Amino acid sequence: MNSVDASEHYELGATAPSLLTVIIDTNPHAWALLEDSLPLSKAVANILVFINAHLACNYANEVAVVASHSQKAAWLYPSQNAPSPSADQDGDVTMNGNTTPQTNKYRPFRIVEEQVTRNLKDLIDSTTGDDLRSNMSTMLAGALTLALSNINRRTIAWAEEHGGANLEDAAAEAGGGGGGGAGGVAAAPNRYSASNEDERLQSRILIVSVSGSTDSAHQYIPVMNSIFACQRLHIPIDVCKLSGDAVFLQQASDATKGVYMALSEPRGLLQYLMMAFLPDQRSRRHLVLPTRVDVDFRAACFCHRRVVDVGFVCSICLSIFCEPPPGGDCMTCGTHLDVGDYHVRPALLPRKKKKKKRVNGASGAGTPMSTPTPGT
Amino acid sequence: MASATSRPLEYLEGLPGTTFYKLYQQPSTALAIFRRMLPDLAKCFVMALLYLKDPLPTADLEIWVNTESKKQRDNALSILGRLHILSTTLTGEKTRAYMVTNPFASSLRQALMGAEDSHSFGVFSQGPGETQTSIADLDEYARRQWEGVMGYMVGTSAFGGQRDMVNLSKGVKQLLQAGHLVEIRGTRVDITKDGFGFVLQDVNTQVWNILILYVESAEAIGMDSVEVLSFLFLLSSLELGASYEKKHLTSNQLRTLTDLADFGIVYQEDPDAPCFYPTRLATTLTSDSSALSNPVTGSLTGPASQSSGSGSGFIIIETNYRLYAYTSSPLQISLISLFTNLKYRFPNLVTGKITRQSVRRAIEMGITADQIISYLLSHAHPQLRKHNAGHGTSNVKGVQASVLPPTVTDQIRLWQLERDRLRATAGFLFKDFTSLAEYSAPCQYAAEIGVLVWKSEKKRMFFVTRHEQVAAFLRSQKGGGK
Repeated sequence: MNSVDASEHYELGATAPSLLTVIIDTNPHAWALLEDSLPLSKAVANILVFINAHLACNYANEVAVVASHSQKAAWLYPSQNAPSPSADQDGDVTMNGNTTPQTNKYRPFRIVEEQVTRNLKDLIDSTTGDDLRSNMSTMLAGALTLALSNINRRTIAWAEEHGGANLEDAAAEAGGGGGGGAGGVAAAPNRYSASNEDERLQSRILIVSVSGSTDSAHQYIPVMNSIFACQRLHIPIDVCKLSGDAVFLQQASDATKGVYMALSEPRGLLQYLMMAFLPDQRSRRHLVLPTRVDVDFRAACFCHRRVVDVGFVCSICLSIFCEPPPGGDCMTCGTHLDVGDYHVRPALLPRKKKKKKRVNGASGAGTPMSTPTPGT
Repeated sequence: MASATSRPLEYLEGLPGTTFYKLYQQPSTALAIFRRMLPDLAKCFVMALLYLKDPLPTADLEIWVNTESKKQRDNALSILGRLHILSTTLTGEKTRAYMVTNPFASSLRQALMGAEDSHSFGVFSQGPGETQTSIADLDEYARRQWEGVMGYMVGTSAFGGQRDMVNLSKGVKQLLQAGHLVEIRGTRVDITKDGFGFVLQDVNTQVWNILILYVESAEAIGMDSVEVLSFLFLLSSLELGASYEKKHLTSNQLRTLTDLADFGIVYQEDPDAPCFYPTRLATTLTSDSSALSNPVTGSLTGPASQSSGSGSGFIIIETNYRLYAYTSSPLQISLISLFTNLKYRFPNLVTGKITRQSVRRAIEMGITADQIISYLLSHAHPQLRKHNAGHGTSNVKGVQASVLPPTVTDQIRLWQLERDRLRATAGFLFKDFTSLAEYSAPCQYAAEIGVLVWKSEKKRMFFVTRHEQVAAFLRSQKGGGK
């Protein structure tokens, strides 16, 4: 009787809730270009419906929204000054005085909506012309870091509330995540077992990006560090690209097994979000989701933050340079590098095609049929 | 947990289509059903289709799902179909396509986006003389009432020490009796087999079961089940710690409210108060049982375990079948004693051992092994969870690391199987065949169509689960013979 077999008993389908962190790129320069097809207000409205859908999926689902603005990254929800609703995992929020009798909306939905719109308005109001002139890009690295720290905090809190199954794991992972990643490898097989993955708070990050890649090249190192942290923590980074192309974001979703979509028609944002970005990690196992096949793996150099195809790499610390560092000293680790031909770009030699050795040594005239297979 | 969703799901599936049509008019109902009744994949389908203008061709949906997950897909689609959420239509090009049916789709869209005046999510009370009832008070009220109901069923008075025995209203007792959870003989209350199963479930499942019972009985006394159901779903979307206006409710809903107050699902200061408070039992209705917030179960296991802080579990079970329960609640102790030989009792701890006798005794009372295990699981001490989950013994994908020692759970099942030697199958016996040839043809036919359970060539008998096709076959044989 296979009903006594231990393996069949535990199909509990434990449904750990998921935490969705939405990073909205609010770079005003980029949104100005999108004004005709999808203004920011409309995009935010779409994203809010999407967030509601996420909250609707599970009673304990949580959400966090970060704005990656041109001069800083800021929380939109949960906001730091207001009583943090995410602290209570029931989504119960203390009534902060405003008892507007608007009852046609599920209350958790309304709270998110109100906070996001209010904070976004504050953020945009606080942006001065000087900020805009001085900075053309978006603070993606800061936003990712904020998101990651919040995920870490919530994961630990959740594990504590629910029997603490993965408390040490979560903490240990988070501790090693930001760093080089040494030391964590030994305990890895146990830690990443499938069962633990399921029980943990399922976190994922969605980046709604509008800025181009070259703008964010100066943040290459922090962005890549965040991406690697996500990779270690098994947090997929989903990228919804409304305009421009972002080299690093493609790498982000590729490295973390997230979804990458560049929308050809930004007006259909909501449908794209609902179809491709709503399923959580559990459902994703069953679905075929869009990923990018031709990922742009280019890196930015450490010296001028240029995105390069071919560059110089320090043989000690693997720093990337677009040109030989001055004096031949690596700018990161200080090692003196013996660069042979300065100022000469390394020539790309076409790889020599290896000719298959014929065993019988016959000339080209030999028919393929006569070639015996080696080793048989 | 499968059992957690099945009961309300079963009930809902049994409803006629027109009931669904009426139910789905309310955004709160659509939201609650979406959240509580559907598997993950079904939720993805609904959300993907919700804002699509045109129906999605079936082929496209099939491509969207991994080929290995066909089973999950079919399961999701069948549940959606049974709940009248998804329907298939023919598009212009004569291809079959899925779409979300209308009252549900528009209601869910309303729930997500907010809509015109529907009062679907309750109306806050903002009367001037509003006395704030704190969440702690509500939890305490819910705990006292619910434990009172449980205590009434199990008869904790035998264990003594029940200081604040709650006076249960007549309606509650009748409902329990109508649901065959207890039998009342004279003044004595005897718990039934169903009742034992009931008390061992986790709180969320219990509340659902009671509510379904309530809806069923409401129909019997002439209340509209749709009205009651949609009110229940409304309750589930209310906010804990807030008070709500009563004046928007219909008279039937008011009546329901009073009845639910007896169970601790809602709280009202007195039956004529202008507002009511939902308790945690109500607001967590749409949560999964595993995600059910600890304060409910925590507060329901009695004041002793409340002080222990985080985590609701209090039971530690060892691989040598010893059981330690950190509780002083007479209800929990009497529940544990159903399937355990209790040995010692301390102010905050009881210890005992699970033995073959104790489990058999429980099974004889009608408790199943699964119920015992799920009870142990849902009340496992955090230390037990932490310890065993950390080991992650199973490397099979999708299989959970067991919180309870597998030896114990397997042994409990084996003890149950010891008793399960007979299995009843309802069906039909064909006998009295005059010749072997006459016997073997229909017998073979029954085997082919997969309804044959048992056959005996010597006695010329066979047993099938469905007889219609076999009878038709016999008739056609006879017709052919003549």
